[in-house]
Amino acid sequence: MSTRSTPILSLLTEDLLIQVNEKLVQDSDRKKWRLICKEFHRVDSLTRKTLRVLHVEFLLTLLKNYTNLHTLDLSVCPRIEDGTISLLLHHVDHSIWARNLKCLNLSRANGLKFAGLEMLVGACKGLESVDVSYCCGFGDREAAAISGCEGLRELRMDKCLGVGDVGLAKIVVGCGRLERLSLKWCMEISDLGVELLCKKCLELKFLDVSYLKVTSESLRSIASLPKLEDLAMVGCPYVNDVGLQFLEIGCPSLQKIDVARCDCVSSSGLSSLIGGHSGLLHIDAGHCFSEVSPTIVKCIQKLKNLNTIIIDGIRVSDTIFQTISSNCNSLIEIGLSKCEGVTNMGIIKLVSGCVNLKIINLTCCRSIANAAISAIAYSCRNLLCLKLESCNMITGKSLEQLGLHCLLLEVLDLTDCCGINDRGLECLYRCSRILCLKLGLCTNISDKGLFYIASSCPELQELDLYRCQNIGDDGLAALSSACKKLRKLNLSYCVEVTDKGTKSLGYLEELSDLELRGLDKITSVGLTALATRCKRLIYLDLKHCEKIDDSGFQALAYYSRNLRQLNLSYCAITDMTLCMLMGNMTRLQDVDLVHLTNVTVEGFELVLRACCVRIKKINIHTV
Amino acid sequence: MEPNDRLSLHAWANPSSSCNGLPRKMSLENPSFTNFNLQQQEQKWDDTSILNYGIRIEPPFHEFNQASESEYLLSSTCNNQPKVLDQEDGLNNEALQTSKSLDWDPRTMLNNLSFLEQKIHHLQDLVHLIVGRKGQALGGHDQLVTQQQQLITADLTSIIVQLISTAGSLLPSVKHKLSTGPPNGQLGELLFPPLAGMNCVPQPQHGSGSIAVQPQCVTGSKVSDQCNQMDVTGNCGTEQNLSIEEHEMKEEEDADEGENLPPGSYDILQLEKEEILAPHTHFCTICGKGFKRDANLRMHMRGHGDEYKTPAALAKPNKESSSEPVIIKRYSCPFAGCKRNKDHKKFQPLKTILCVKNHYKRTHCDKSYICSRCNTKKFSVMADLKTHEKHCGKDKWLCSCGTTFSRKDKLFGHIALFQGHTPAIPLEETKGPSVSCDKMDGNEASNKSGKHKFQLWLQCW
Repeated sequence: MSTRSTPILSLLTEDLLIQVNEKLVQDSDRKKWRLICKEFHRVDSLTRKTLRVLHVEFLLTLLKNYTNLHTLDLSVCPRIEDGTISLLLHHVDHSIWARNLKCLNLSRANGLKFAGLEMLVGACKGLESVDVSYCCGFGDREAAAISGCEGLRELRMDKCLGVGDVGLAKIVVGCGRLERLSLKWCMEISDLGVELLCKKCLELKFLDVSYLKVTSESLRSIASLPKLEDLAMVGCPYVNDVGLQFLEIGCPSLQKIDVARCDCVSSSGLSSLIGGHSGLLHIDAGHCFSEVSPTIVKCIQKLKNLNTIIIDGIRVSDTIFQTISSNCNSLIEIGLSKCEGVTNMGIIKLVSGCVNLKIINLTCCRSIANAAISAIAYSCRNLLCLKLESCNMITGKSLEQLGLHCLLLEVLDLTDCCGINDRGLECLYRCSRILCLKLGLCTNISDKGLFYIASSCPELQELDLYRCQNIGDDGLAALSSACKKLRKLNLSYCVEVTDKGTKSLGYLEELSDLELRGLDKITSVGLTALATRCKRLIYLDLKHCEKIDDSGFQALAYYSRNLRQLNLSYCAITDMTLCMLMGNMTRLQDVDLVHLTNVTVEGFELVLRACCVRIKKINIHTV
Repeated sequence: MEPNDRLSLHAWANPSSSCNGLPRKMSLENPSFTNFNLQQQEQKWDDTSILNYGIRIEPPFHEFNQASESEYLLSSTCNNQPKVLDQEDGLNNEALQTSKSLDWDPRTMLNNLSFLEQKIHHLQDLVHLIVGRKGQALGGHDQLVTQQQQLITADLTSIIVQLISTAGSLLPSVKHKLSTGPPNGQLGELLFPPLAGMNCVPQPQHGSGSIAVQPQCVTGSKVSDQCNQMDVTGNCGTEQNLSIEEHEMKEEEDADEGENLPPGSYDILQLEKEEILAPHTHFCTICGKGFKRDANLRMHMRGHGDEYKTPAALAKPNKESSSEPVIIKRYSCPFAGCKRNKDHKKFQPLKTILCVKNHYKRTHCDKSYICSRCNTKKFSVMADLKTHEKHCGKDKWLCSCGTTFSRKDKLFGHIALFQGHTPAIPLEETKGPSVSCDKMDGNEASNKSGKHKFQLWLQCW
């Protein structure tokens, strides 16, 4: 092939190749491109802007090749340490790869300390966006290192548990141009830090102070931010209505507000906030207070532009649906999860006005029946996402209506809807765009249902069949031959599945997350077949797969090098195989090894020695 | 703060005393010199600055008072004075603006500095002039020479004060302090004894005089503004050292400034030195055992017999006498020459025996309690040492500019105020000061012992 294509390719100039290359969107397509010839590979490395590194050992070579990177994502690298950074900066000429870097993702890079960060920040002068979320060990010193990025506009520090007011002060003084900042779960930060932030970073557009122990005093300072558009303060237990009243008169640009789970916020506080901002687009007040009061209903009347309203867990009445329906015509998303008082009548009223709804969450609204779903299907033709978990009264009739009218549907959650059967799934044949289908605990579904799914949903990426006990190997065979894009599959406790079914799963090349809990008909043969073919497997759950013996796990150790998370609890694995497994899997970060009866204490010691450099979390509770 | 305080006190005292004596004599004995003096002043007003007119105002004013007695001088002074004061008003405004532009302004600073420069030059000229005159002067003008010296001292003082105030505008807490209004501390009074007199200017008796006096009154009030500002500068120093110098502030707290009891409306008691320093103040009349508290003595007395066990004997004495008009008691310090001594000219009494004790120990005794942590700070009152020990230690909140704060919110206020200042993270700790200073305060001692125990426990393990 190469001899034939060479003359054609030689006609294409470099800039033409670059233009063609830029048209490739999917990662797999780019991969194919790279493999064609050296010239194509060179073009790809010249034009490549983003890089997500899976194996730290390749980082050095990759950074040598890709010199025009804008985005570097190290969030799934098992262990980035100060030493790695100094190696990168000294062995690769850092001015090349670090020069153009704008976005850096260091999420979960717990091995990194302030010295390494300082080096990194010093080399990457142009950084605009940094993500250090879930680096739980980060403290004020690390924050001080980050504060060296003068041009920083976006910073995520979720769950940097050690960062306190001092660290925050460092950042706000060093990075005065911050526009987006997330401080979620930075539990040490108090009102003092937030106050200073609001005095120094006047460009802030997005701020997340969720779960902080801040009080309404912080909201007083936040209210002074002139450009703030999006404020998230989920689960702030000390914020009360007084704070929301500060926001009422402040933050002139506010568009989105999230006060979910703020226990001290009442409906009067929220209504005062809404009263001050009639241009609000997004309100999340889930689990805030017990009941939607008439004052709130009155306030909502003014929100003509409202796109999203989420009032999970709040008791509602039909009046609010009437109000929303007649006033908020541009509503796109409504969240009513676990709301009491949601009736068929209410939903019918709602959708009569809000025909643009695309996302509807009715999780645990148990009195919803087919009538409501039919109305939704008839009115909201653009529906993308419908969540109906635990709506027990739903039957196949609802699916029939959805299949008739909602052809754009992408996400459908029918978990625990026992009324759904194979016939219902057949009705979805026109919904060819479905990406995610959740059928967990729908015990009436059998292989026949899977045939229908396989034939009607070629785009399917995620399928949940948790405890669908009537599912067997034939259904899986149909699925794996048709839904080639499947990435996530949950087959836990589908006890009929045997090695044959597991083997057929091997044809799903994109499969990354697979849960096979409690499948006691699976043996090493099935696992080996799976492991040899599904190279992209990242998460595998084999808890209680007690028939699998060492040979299966050895195959896993040999082939599934990309595994990041593994659950082997209650499996029959022995010392030697476990050691081999843990030693071989260089990307493994999180393992569960509970109740391994064949593994001795000495075996565990060896295992820990073999993997302690990479593993971030291990669960080895034994009796 | 203290040496600074004393310096200015000393420096300011001179011109004030000279003001009382000098111009009167000048105007009576040597009219020609008065003229010269006025000329000098007029020249000076042009470049005079915020603080020195506080002193310079005095001579013309006294002259004016003199003028009411002598027609000749009235004409000579009144011609000059309104002009002078007008100018001075302008300058005042300017000066006030300078002081009100709270944030540090390099231009203002430059102005101030060039003022200072000019003033030093003028002073140089003046000294040259005096040197020249000395050559010409015939003997016997000793009085004149001392007067000149005093004049120069006054000028120098004003330059120093100006310099301090200029530097003071750089200090962090000026803004805060200024906005809190006139402080009622005694500092201002100490610094500006003559100004107090200026505020209660005697009303003019002459119609022609009113022109001159009117601005004078205005000036008076403005001067007191200045005095506030001056005080601010002083306080800045205090604030900086607050964490260390706390006990010195305490002493001033003990002072009952606002009370202003008219002399004679209270009884003055003066305990002797031995009495003050005695550890016990209540002694058993039977066995001689000493007690700190009367209540403890009464408890002790029960052991000496049944007659002391009656409710009457155990009850608080003087209870019933409260219905009678109580004579207010105030206390005097036995130390001669002390301001708290009743013989002092500006005697300020102490309110309670505790005040006496603390005052005497702090001011007139050796500081025998040494802080065991820093080994530098000494105290004469145990309570002061304990207060200091609470704040002494590594948990200082430190700014990148080197300023330390005893509290985190103070540091954050400081950082909010200044561009580019950040909190400094101590080098030793890896986690940073996660435990706030406030939390440490009370439990530190117990924490410490706890840690110790923990280590021991580890060793045992």
